[in-house]
Amino acid sequence: MPQEALTAAQASVKGAEVGGANDDPKAQLHLKLANEQIDKAKKLIEDGKNEEAARVIDRAQADADLALALAEQAKSLKEYKDADEQLGKLKKKLNQ
Amino acid sequence: MLRRTTPLSALLLLGVVACGAAQPPPELVDARKAYERASKGLATQLAPAQLDTAKQALDKAEKSFEDEGVDAPTPDLAYVAERKAELAEATAGKVAAERDAKQADKKFKDTQLEGLDKAKSELSKERQAGEKTKAQLEQERKELEQERVARAEAERKAAAAMASLQEIAKVKEESRGMVITLSGSVLFATGKYELLPIARDKLDEVAKALTDQGYKSIVIEGHTDSRGKAADNETLSLKRAESVRTYLVSRGIPSDKITASGLGSSRPVADNGTPDGRANNRRVEIVVQPLK
Repeated sequence: MPQEALTAAQASVKGAEVGGANDDPKAQLHLKLANEQIDKAKKLIEDGKNEEAARVIDRAQADADLALALAEQAKSLKEYKDADEQLGKLKKKLNQ
Repeated sequence: MLRRTTPLSALLLLGVVACGAAQPPPELVDARKAYERASKGLATQLAPAQLDTAKQALDKAEKSFEDEGVDAPTPDLAYVAERKAELAEATAGKVAAERDAKQADKKFKDTQLEGLDKAKSELSKERQAGEKTKAQLEQERKELEQERVARAEAERKAAAAMASLQEIAKVKEESRGMVITLSGSVLFATGKYELLPIARDKLDEVAKALTDQGYKSIVIEGHTDSRGKAADNETLSLKRAESVRTYLVSRGIPSDKITASGLGSSRPVADNGTPDGRANNRRVEIVVQPLK
């Protein structure tokens, strides 16, 4: 049972990495927490502490999801800033 | 009975109060704060589903806290709830940024179009100004050409006028102007100052030539030979000059530009001792101040 959730959490971590979580400091922090908790869960599973492992996996999943959301937010903010900068440059050029 | 039950109730009550007063785990405190912040922000409008998920997660943690206190799984559930509240905020932030970027893109395109319109309009204005200048130049060229033609025509007329004058009278350029000398015998009968019919023909020619040539002012001078009384000669010469002036005015020479004077025999041009000389001295001179 925890194994299935663990696989899902690991997939979410991968998804967050692909989504650019390593490019944003806050997203990177949650990615790190997710990875640490995945490692912790693996040990707990090895020790047969499945119930505790499941709770840690839930934490890992929440951090991985948040990492992706933060990465996507950062990306959108950057796109907005770029668009705004382009607009500013265009206006400046036209006013010359 | 009251005495025995009261301490028990008090103990029970104390237990309930102690339990209710149990401090929530820091994860739950953080989760509550995170949810409160998210529910007061953009997430209510831009990420309502994620906010609802966060609320359900927080409720689950609160329920666990009620049931299990600070023990597991309360901290884990609260940890997850806090992340979900933050996720709702991040999602709302993403949606807002996407919306703002879209607006900026639209503004960019609109501004580009405005710039293009402005440039087109300026180009069109410049082109119109260029065409105007071209038209003005063409107009100026035409005017210059017309002026040149008019001047050539005026010169031609003046030359023709001079030529026709020279046919009927003696014409001389002097420092006082152009002097047209008409013989007195051609204009008047002896001792008279009324113009002879032939004189009118000649003066018609003179008037035409003067009009064609242009002038600033004209002086008609009457001259006699030296026979007879000087005073009579002066009177006769003035009357003759006035006759000529009156006639020329009647032929279109403006009266304010033409004057008459009688000089009698004071300015002979030939010897008064011979008939030929006297004939030459009996004359009318038309002195023309040319235009500059």
